[in-house]
Amino acid sequence: MKEIIAFIRPSKMKDTKKILDELNVSSVTAIPVLGRGHQRGLNTVLSGIDVHPEILAKANTHGMKFVPKRMLVITAQDDKTELIVEAIVKSNCTGFIGDGKIFVCPTDNAVRIRTNESGDEAL
Amino acid sequence: MKMIRAIVRPECADIVSDALDEAGFSSMTKMPVFGRGRQKGITVGNVHYDEIPKTLILIVVEDEAVDEAIKVIRYKAYTGNEGDGKIFISPVEQVRTVRTGSKEL
Repeated sequence: MKEIIAFIRPSKMKDTKKILDELNVSSVTAIPVLGRGHQRGLNTVLSGIDVHPEILAKANTHGMKFVPKRMLVITAQDDKTELIVEAIVKSNCTGFIGDGKIFVCPTDNAVRIRTNESGDEAL
Repeated sequence: MKMIRAIVRPECADIVSDALDEAGFSSMTKMPVFGRGRQKGITVGNVHYDEIPKTLILIVVEDEAVDEAIKVIRYKAYTGNEGDGKIFISPVEQVRTVRTGSKEL
């Protein structure tokens, strides 16, 4: 069992849900979060946005410190993990900075509260 | 790679994130959470607060950088009182950057 934690653009939620439905993965937890990556938020210098030098001199060049993102938590069987990761990469790739990251973490167990099932059956 | 989840005081969150940035851990995620610890919340006068607002800072670092990241968080989030927070470390097996598809941090 693996836990897939993906950070994606909030605007891509619809596409991601659609492609996950096609894979029969319907259980997703989505949390609105604030985050930043290598570019340290919305950095006007690194992300290649043309900003007038006068404005740049006036304001701090760091722009926004944190960018709103959506955090998806999906727990899936081992053999499905790779498929889900590929699907998220495919549906979220725009080629611009800020597309997000995906982490795959090992998980020991899962329990469905209603029926008390545990392990892969509970997913 | 390891995932570090640090639960800190909301007023310390900015200080911690700035310090992590200076230490070279620029990528991070933060979110507001509610929780309680061993003290079962807090009692102010006659009112008992069961869940206290905290900020969860989530970063993923290479194995060898874990100790340094924890040191930075501990140093900046420390006040000496109950409720300073906790740090959890868990393994990460695989990383993928969506834009480039690279499997490195």
